[in-house]
Amino acid sequence: MAVITPGDASARRQSPPLRLLAARKARPASAVGTSIVVVFLLVAVLGPALAPYSATEQVFSEARQAPTFSHLFGTDRLGRDVFSRVVIGARDILSLAGLGTALAVFIGLVSGLLSSYIGGWFEELLFRFYDSLLAMPALLLALLLLGTLGPSRNSVLFVITIAYIPIVARVVRSVVLDTKTKDFVAAARMQGESLPYILFREILPSVLPALAVEAALRFSYAIFLVASLGFLGVGVQPPNPDWGLMVSEARTYVSLTPWALYFPAAAISLLIIGINLMADGLKRVLQLES
Amino acid sequence: MMSTPIKIRKPVMWPSYKIRSLLIAVALILAGLVLGGLASAQSSLRVALEIPVQLDPAFASSDSEIAVLNNVYDYLVDVDSGNNIIPRLASSWTVSEDGLSYTFSLVEGVKFHDGSPLSAEDVVWTFDRLRDPELELPTANLYSNIASIEATGPLEVRFTLKDTNPFFLYDLSDNHALILKANTEDATNFNGTGPFVVDSYSPENRMELSANREYFMAGKPGVDKLELIFFSDQVAAVEAVRGGQVDLVMRMPTPLFVSLQNQPGLETVAVPTNGFDLIRLRADRPPGNDPRVMQALKLATDREAIREIVTLGFGAPGKDTPIGPLYESYYAADLEVPARDVAKARALLAEAGYGDGLRLELHTPDSGDRPDLAVILKEQWAEAGVEVDVLVEPESVYYGNNGWLEVDLGITGWGSRPIPQFYLDVMLVCGAKWNEAAFCEESFDELVQIAGSTLNEEERIATYREIQAFLIEQGPFIIPYFFPQFGVISDQFMGFDMKAFPGRTDLAAIRPK
Repeated sequence: MAVITPGDASARRQSPPLRLLAARKARPASAVGTSIVVVFLLVAVLGPALAPYSATEQVFSEARQAPTFSHLFGTDRLGRDVFSRVVIGARDILSLAGLGTALAVFIGLVSGLLSSYIGGWFEELLFRFYDSLLAMPALLLALLLLGTLGPSRNSVLFVITIAYIPIVARVVRSVVLDTKTKDFVAAARMQGESLPYILFREILPSVLPALAVEAALRFSYAIFLVASLGFLGVGVQPPNPDWGLMVSEARTYVSLTPWALYFPAAAISLLIIGINLMADGLKRVLQLES
Repeated sequence: MMSTPIKIRKPVMWPSYKIRSLLIAVALILAGLVLGGLASAQSSLRVALEIPVQLDPAFASSDSEIAVLNNVYDYLVDVDSGNNIIPRLASSWTVSEDGLSYTFSLVEGVKFHDGSPLSAEDVVWTFDRLRDPELELPTANLYSNIASIEATGPLEVRFTLKDTNPFFLYDLSDNHALILKANTEDATNFNGTGPFVVDSYSPENRMELSANREYFMAGKPGVDKLELIFFSDQVAAVEAVRGGQVDLVMRMPTPLFVSLQNQPGLETVAVPTNGFDLIRLRADRPPGNDPRVMQALKLATDREAIREIVTLGFGAPGKDTPIGPLYESYYAADLEVPARDVAKARALLAEAGYGDGLRLELHTPDSGDRPDLAVILKEQWAEAGVEVDVLVEPESVYYGNNGWLEVDLGITGWGSRPIPQFYLDVMLVCGAKWNEAAFCEESFDELVQIAGSTLNEEERIATYREIQAFLIEQGPFIIPYFFPQFGVISDQFMGFDMKAFPGRTDLAAIRPK
């Protein structure tokens, strides 16, 4: 299905964000996804400014209240404002998942580029190590690492990075293995260009489309991982407004304060759906170009 | 030529349809009645339990472990829901004048599930095993006061004590003290004398038991089959009883219990217990070695709010002592904990050298209401300048490798016991096994010693009072509430009398209505 019609030829010369915007017209689903992500990012940036109350302040006299105008999402069992907790929690989960993904993408990209281009025993060794990490499901790996490191924000960050480096590196490798046999790479080599030049100026551009899509997908998985770890109680510790933790804590209170469970759960779902739709749109735009 | 009339097949008429369907209906109803009759002849009780791990009576400790064993084995004497000692395998007993010698007569004709008869030797062997210092079983210390146990007849056992112990009968009814057959090599072989016989056991899944038809107590057990279904998750167990997949669930978080109240088809009970959560600070090193720090934490705590929020108003208020209102005669109702006073707490902390604030890690197991309690304390203590980092750990991590005894500041749950002396002996005396606060005060130990040995009830009541006053003022911990235990049973059953320690509930007394 054509996303950008021939008449849209001008779109091809636009910068990537503009192309994504142009694609919105053609694919409403990815437009919705992108809008959701933008809204969540805004919430994360504005965070405390949007929240009417503190995320941790307990007002016992107002505990277990259903949603009203003063408490849009109601209050939880300890008398904390659920809306404020969800809003302030957005920054936590997005920054944690975003930073973790960024680290994983950076390390995965550099190690994948370098090792796949050089090849030989270095590549063998590195990728067999990555394979051994991949052999374990991300959540299991995360639980093992957190069991050793102890639960904290930094541990969760570390876990996301470790869990997703091999996946990113494999995606990078698959493109590099193909690209490095191309004539233009051979030409650059014969011109005597330096290794970083060949890697980042010649090969990287062909890796970028796949990498962008993978990064968006990793981001959504990272959010899911942070929420899962919070839910299992091994991630961010209370009283932090971690969405997964909020769902877990509200679970036994579901019949008394269902809103304290539904809103953070809905936030997790909505954000993940949004990122996936956005990644889907991104993939189509980039595929069409190549 | 006459034409033969064309035979027209008569269509099947309505009435015959009706008769046939009527017949089928009658047959179905009859079949249903017969099958239903068979089913009611085989009454069965399905109980949701947490997954038991240790099923050797000497090591079993959790509610579900004891619940399993209490149905397979018998105690020598039992404790009723009013905390009174009642006969079980011992039909009667006498105590010597000096209080040092207890003689028990065993019920006649009791048989183990393998068919062999119960004799006094079995009781002697069981308690000799539990108290053998070389085996290092958890009960060795509890029974160290026993000088000798002997079979004085085929069905008569005499225990001789080194020192008087007014609670000795309660000690004999300790959770671990289930009577095994003498010389049992594998203490997990389920060869007991109890009301149910184990048919099959699938670890972490379920245990199926059938009624012991030769059980010595008349009218027990009340059902033919007992199915113990193991759940790793309390929410799942509660949903199972709500959905009718199980008939009985005991022990559950307060909000889940509230959600089951007024649910048609279910009966709910809330039993007051002496179980409590305590927050304690190690008293043997900074900052807890300065008693003013603990006093400040006590003053910074808003107990009323905690009870309102954490236990949703259920249970009884705690006063920083393990002697709760359940022990009517020993509980000093008129003693009060000082009211919340944040300014005074700040002043005490400043005196102790923490005027610039104090930062502590608060460790808590992830079970029950403890994480919520930790989060509430964090907020309350912050007002007094104490900053707390909450660390929620799975129960297995918190209690594993005795880590809970090591941490400076922790929240620990303690189950209900029939006598208060237990808590004092194991958690407050210098060097006691579970002295988690590492508390040691010689004058206090003396009081505990008097209360635990005097045969004079007046003296004991007075001593317990002194102990409570001491703990309110100088004790190493905060006990904000005594939590109740909740039970929910299908209204198709009767005879459910839940005990403060739910594992000791007599499931054999439950019968269909």
